[in-house]
Amino acid sequence: MNILEINNLVKDFGGLRAVDTLSLSIEEGEILGMIGPNGAGKSTAFNCIAGVYAPTKGDVYFTGKKINGVRPWNLCKNGLARTFQIVKPFRSKSVLYNVMVGSFVTTDKTAVAEEKALNVLKILSFENKKDERAGNLTIAELKRLEVARALATEPKLLLFDEVMAGLRPAEVDEMVQIIKNLRDQGITIFVIEHIMRAIMALSDRIVVIHFGKKIAEGSPQEVASDENVIKAYLGDEYVVS
Amino acid sequence: MIYILEDAINGVLMGSIYGLTALGLTLIFGVLKVINFAHGSLLMVGMYAAYWAIILTGVHPYVALIVVAPVMYLFGYYLQDIVIKPIFKAEKDVREPITVIIVTTGVWYILDNLTLLIFGPTYRNIQDNPLRGKMLEIGEMFISVPKLWGFVTAVITAAAIFWFLQKTRMGRAIRATSLDREAASLMGINQFKVYNVAFGIGTATAGIAAVTLVPFYNIFPTVGVLFDIKGFIIVVLGGLGSIGGAILGGIIIGLIESIAPQFMTATWTEAIVYGLFLVVLFVKPSGLFGVKYDW
Amino acid sequence: MTRKNINTSAFILLGFVAFGLPLLLRSPTYLHIIILLYLYAYLTTSWNLVGGFAGVLPLGHSAFIGIGAYASTILSLQYGISPWIGMIVGGILAAIVGILIGFPTFKMRGAYFALATIAFGEGIRVMVENIDNLGPLNINGPRGLQIPPTNIGFGNYMFASKEPYYYIILVMLVGVLALTYFISRSKLGYYLNAGGEEPEAAMSLGVNVAQAKLIAMAMSSFLTALAGTFYAQFTLYIHPKSVMSLDFSFEIAFIALIGGRGSIAGPVLGALLLRPVSDFSRIYFGSTLPGLHLIIFGTVLILVMIFQPRGLQEPLSKFYNTLLDRISGQTPQREVKHEYS
Repeated sequence: MNILEINNLVKDFGGLRAVDTLSLSIEEGEILGMIGPNGAGKSTAFNCIAGVYAPTKGDVYFTGKKINGVRPWNLCKNGLARTFQIVKPFRSKSVLYNVMVGSFVTTDKTAVAEEKALNVLKILSFENKKDERAGNLTIAELKRLEVARALATEPKLLLFDEVMAGLRPAEVDEMVQIIKNLRDQGITIFVIEHIMRAIMALSDRIVVIHFGKKIAEGSPQEVASDENVIKAYLGDEYVVS
Repeated sequence: MIYILEDAINGVLMGSIYGLTALGLTLIFGVLKVINFAHGSLLMVGMYAAYWAIILTGVHPYVALIVVAPVMYLFGYYLQDIVIKPIFKAEKDVREPITVIIVTTGVWYILDNLTLLIFGPTYRNIQDNPLRGKMLEIGEMFISVPKLWGFVTAVITAAAIFWFLQKTRMGRAIRATSLDREAASLMGINQFKVYNVAFGIGTATAGIAAVTLVPFYNIFPTVGVLFDIKGFIIVVLGGLGSIGGAILGGIIIGLIESIAPQFMTATWTEAIVYGLFLVVLFVKPSGLFGVKYDW
Repeated sequence: MTRKNINTSAFILLGFVAFGLPLLLRSPTYLHIIILLYLYAYLTTSWNLVGGFAGVLPLGHSAFIGIGAYASTILSLQYGISPWIGMIVGGILAAIVGILIGFPTFKMRGAYFALATIAFGEGIRVMVENIDNLGPLNINGPRGLQIPPTNIGFGNYMFASKEPYYYIILVMLVGVLALTYFISRSKLGYYLNAGGEEPEAAMSLGVNVAQAKLIAMAMSSFLTALAGTFYAQFTLYIHPKSVMSLDFSFEIAFIALIGGRGSIAGPVLGALLLRPVSDFSRIYFGSTLPGLHLIIFGTVLILVMIFQPRGLQEPLSKFYNTLLDRISGQTPQREVKHEYS
């Protein structure tokens, strides 16, 4: 079954069409990657799914239900969680506090929420930082905190918005491993990423968009050798025909 | 009917002075994104400065502008530099630091009560000045001359600030900072210098407003509070950050205050003003004229 | 002794002092001052539910004091209903008004919210000043309402001496502190803090930020109104300029801010430190140096905001912890409590 389905999604900002009749779907248990040059409309598409923007046209279905214009907190309660490209930690609070905000989605009891949050921190081998103030974390740790909070909401589908940007190569490898482990636990994953190496290693399938339109779709190998994709990234003259 | 017209004209004149008192508030908000709760107190300080300048020298009230405006500019400049800047530095990543609002309130408390300590609660006014009580007779209507002077001053001041923001180098730096302070500082604009200047100019306009008021208004330590609250209402009506909106917002308040008493008890007009304010705030927070940040 | 033991004994000692104070302190003047101090501590703690946890700056809370004071007073004067019942009616009324005002304003940015609450508070005051009779209810405009001290007794919320008032406000204060403690450790507390700090992130984590703030606002205005009834019964005279003044709203907010918004002890600490300053400067310098207490107030406010923007509770609780380490002789194990940090 397709856990997420997007049909002919359009998003306009004034006269600018940021996303143009985009259709895609994600199967349960899959890791889908989305790439595209800067300004291709990746984040906008993402935000339409995550309930930040209402689509101008087109529909978004999550677990078979239409979710156009459903507010972010309700999406989260239904099992759709996300991270932010620009991290938004609760800076004055501890790591554990941050994660507990997420785990309160599934419980009203503080003790249960704490237990769940600690469990998430353990999965991400992040326990040693649980009492650290979020404001004092490094960028790699903040990215991990984003993942931890989203994971704590016990999602069916996780949207990762450039969760590896700004990380060192070793940290990227670690994050790739974390995401793969999450999938093995049955969470479906949708990743937007700039770091090609990471997304190639990670994704089962990749969608490429350019100027808001889908220009290619397929396995990492297929996409990497696609003419349109090379054109979009490098310009016409690099296409070997 | 003629009375209503007379009231309306005087209301517009007084309203433009209200607008002038709020001009600095809107300017400072536009740049620093902070409501300066001490603005009314700065106006009050300006009124005392003008009062003493006029009483001691016996000059025409408007001559006091030569002293009051620059003194108030420096006062505002260093107030921002010494008291408010440290907070901005401490809360760099906060877009609209609430802490700054609180600090300006502290400044308000200090200024008002220091004035009370020094000059006592006495109501003062300048009986002996060439503008006081003067009326211009047009047909059967009487138009207040000091308010007419105030109206002209308000329009000139607003136009001058508008020109300054559009045409001068510093003005453009101020506009750039107000749009995006990070981008502006990347372009080499000294954010805090801009804040100082904007605060200085805002305070100087409070000084100018003070000079227009003293020929006909009472001067006392808490006089600023009246204009503070009025100022908040005016800048929201006109659109926070809008120069022209402040004058127009002031005129609306002036009109309500002068015409409404024809139809109801005078004290009710205040309730109407608050009601209008809340309605605008809820329905159209960008202000009545849709001219948000018109510079 | 271990740290925990010392903590517990300090707590018990504090409880004894608080409950025994009227026995030690025979002077009604001092008792009066302390009752007002507790009243302020109660008000700032109630304010803190919105102003501290929800991360906004409400500056119109005296309107809720007024609603509580007028509701119970009118009901008891005109209909003979006990102020205890009137107190609840006032609280519910205030909660409804709080939700009505919060609904459109919580979407606003910081400055707008502060201005909206000021205008709302002032608007209510002006209305009350202009209304003599609202339907069958006699409000008496700017002259206010006097409560004749005739029916003394617990049921009438009226007492001949100050001690009963002392215990009532003490119980109210302890109650609101317990509530705050409970909320700060509950889902609501986490949601308020999260929504106040990073609304977008909070929403994506399942937090309905506006709803959480509305709940906090309803509770805060309800509790604030209860203090209004207390104030009316304690002073037996209310008028718009006393219970609904802008100064009152500001004072509540600023005492809480100086003490430390968003913490449990902060607002109480603020009242404890600042009320005596203003009371004594009013008593001793009121005639010679009018407004001195407000100058001190303003200066403290500025200094605290510059050097301790999270309020005085932070350095003081650090100091207390060091003291505990010294007494218990233990190596300081600085375990960061996530609830506070």
